[in-house]
Amino acid sequence: MSYCVNCGVELDNTAHSCPLCHTEINNPKQPIDLTSPTPYPRKKGELEVLKKRDSAIVTSVVLGSTALSCGLLNLFVFQNGRWSLYIIGACLLLWIFCIPILIYSKLPIFISIFLDGIAAAMYCGIIAYQYPGKGWYQNLAIPIILLTTILIEIFAIYLKMFKNSILSRACLFFAEVAVLCSGIEIFIDLYIKHNVSLSWSAVVLTCCSIIVVTLTTIIKQTRLRNEVRRRAHF
Amino acid sequence: MPKSHKKSTKDSWFELDLSATVYPTLQRRSFSSVYRISALLKEKVKPDLLQKALEMTLPRFPTFKVALRKGIFWRYLEPNNRPGPWVEQDIINPCMPMPFHANNHYLIRVYYYENRISLEVFHSLSDGTGALYLLRTLIAVYLRLQGYTIPNQNGVLDINQPPDPEELEDAYKRYATSKVRPPRKQEKAYRLHGTLEPFYTLNIICGIISVDTLLNVAKKYKVTITEYLNSVLIYALIQQQKSENHRKERPIKIAMPVSLRRFFPSKTLRNFITMVYPTIDPRLGDYTFEEIVTQVHYYMRYHINGKFLNADITTNAMTKSHPVIRIVPLFIKDLTVRSFYKRVQDLQSSAGLTNLGTIDIPEEMREHLIRFDVLMGQPFSPRTNCAIASLGNILTINFASSIVETSVEKFFFTKLVRDGVPVKIETNRNN
Ligand SMILES: [Zn+2]
Repeated sequence: MSYCVNCGVELDNTAHSCPLCHTEINNPKQPIDLTSPTPYPRKKGELEVLKKRDSAIVTSVVLGSTALSCGLLNLFVFQNGRWSLYIIGACLLLWIFCIPILIYSKLPIFISIFLDGIAAAMYCGIIAYQYPGKGWYQNLAIPIILLTTILIEIFAIYLKMFKNSILSRACLFFAEVAVLCSGIEIFIDLYIKHNVSLSWSAVVLTCCSIIVVTLTTIIKQTRLRNEVRRRAHF
Repeated sequence: MPKSHKKSTKDSWFELDLSATVYPTLQRRSFSSVYRISALLKEKVKPDLLQKALEMTLPRFPTFKVALRKGIFWRYLEPNNRPGPWVEQDIINPCMPMPFHANNHYLIRVYYYENRISLEVFHSLSDGTGALYLLRTLIAVYLRLQGYTIPNQNGVLDINQPPDPEELEDAYKRYATSKVRPPRKQEKAYRLHGTLEPFYTLNIICGIISVDTLLNVAKKYKVTITEYLNSVLIYALIQQQKSENHRKERPIKIAMPVSLRRFFPSKTLRNFITMVYPTIDPRLGDYTFEEIVTQVHYYMRYHINGKFLNADITTNAMTKSHPVIRIVPLFIKDLTVRSFYKRVQDLQSSAGLTNLGTIDIPEEMREHLIRFDVLMGQPFSPRTNCAIASLGNILTINFASSIVETSVEKFFFTKLVRDGVPVKIETNRNN
């Protein structure tokens, strides 16, 4: 029997030090038992890796075969126009959206948002290929998608990297809504009228600015923040 | 096998009971509500016999031979007839997360190590009392396979009998009848600030104590063992909070599950517990240990009785049976329950403490068993949980924690030593 000189508890003969205070055991009459089994096993357990692979394979096969069969039908049976491009594009789009969920879950969220943005741009590209129009793809679709992706990235970075509260998240959200709406209107105006005059987005901008200013004030003022917490608790 | 037995395991499914609904929503990649009950035998465990015993025993316990499935509005338990579960060699990190689809969808695990048989159970299936019936029956069957005679009594169920329908009931439903639904006090409790261990670590510190000595000490304070140990834990946490030098102290609250079977007779093997929160608020002043003991003693007397507990479970049952809540899709329920748990429930207690009390076993089993250990499992947030059980004259206190520091355990056990209770410590920590 060995005791911890510091805590006074009895220790197992196989113990090297006291688990409570980490004092080394030094008992000349009772050397540490190195042969008997320890009270607990030494083997470390790990979880069996759950196979999301099955659903990843199913999703890939379903999307791939849909795309392929539509492509073949388009080539050989219903040859009016290149309608299958839409479906093939949609399948690719869905597949890219599924990457972080099913195929490679360790993908950082920033990269998957970026890929989603590229996928959306690609799908619009397919539509633009069918209906070239007056350069709507370069002047309208690409800028809007780019803006949206950047805003979502900022939001994701903010959520992940910084300590934040519901209030500050809401603040950022409304600020981004304002930027997005005015951005969209600016791009549309430039595309159609070649000059910028904000109308509907000005309303959104005003509303969001009021909300953002209010929220920032509330966040800055502890007393106000507590008041809001009390009155709006749920 | 009698026909009715087969039928009950084949066609039926089980609604999750009142407590059981919460646990799956808290499931993360790194967390499951899993607890463990172990029995230390006098002889080395023979894995092949244990496997055989498990296969013979489990069909008698249909609520443990299940898989968890998702419905549109609620989850439910479905009889699981896949092969398994298999007994495994024990590991250093018990109560690992239990993904619902791993392990052939089984929500229990059985381990062996040297002389020890351990049963791990996902909390949605049963509480400690229910799981204890399974473990005792499993051990009895295992011992019978070695030629010993063990009668079907004192917690050992007859595996040749069909399960009693009462064992499968949701006892909350039967007893939640109170006319008032008292509101809950919600106050943030003191929480330990430890260094989180890496994933796949559960630190155990087990204190082994003689029941007689402990009983004498508890008697000196004129309280029960549970009340005394609760007070020691509160005392340890007060010391801990003091040592951290907070500008603002918070109340020490212990989350203690209480088995309701004592107050509402039911043979159910499923969950039938509720929580009580013995509290000491150090902001009111410095408490001596005697004052803590008195406070805890009267708290328990005041709260743990049929009337109060009934009101408590009625409050819970009403939330679940509210028509609006019922028709909300499952994923929304999950989101709300999880955020409620994180923001309110989890912050409400400083530590958990459960006492399974004196474990009853047939006289014939005593000569084969040394002691029982209970582990409350991985805590949801970094802190330490404490579980107590006793067999004969041996009582074990198992601390399970996911943090590096051992200061609470140290305050706890040194207090016992100073009160004249000799403690033997065992651990799975590398030292
Ligand atoms: Zn020590």
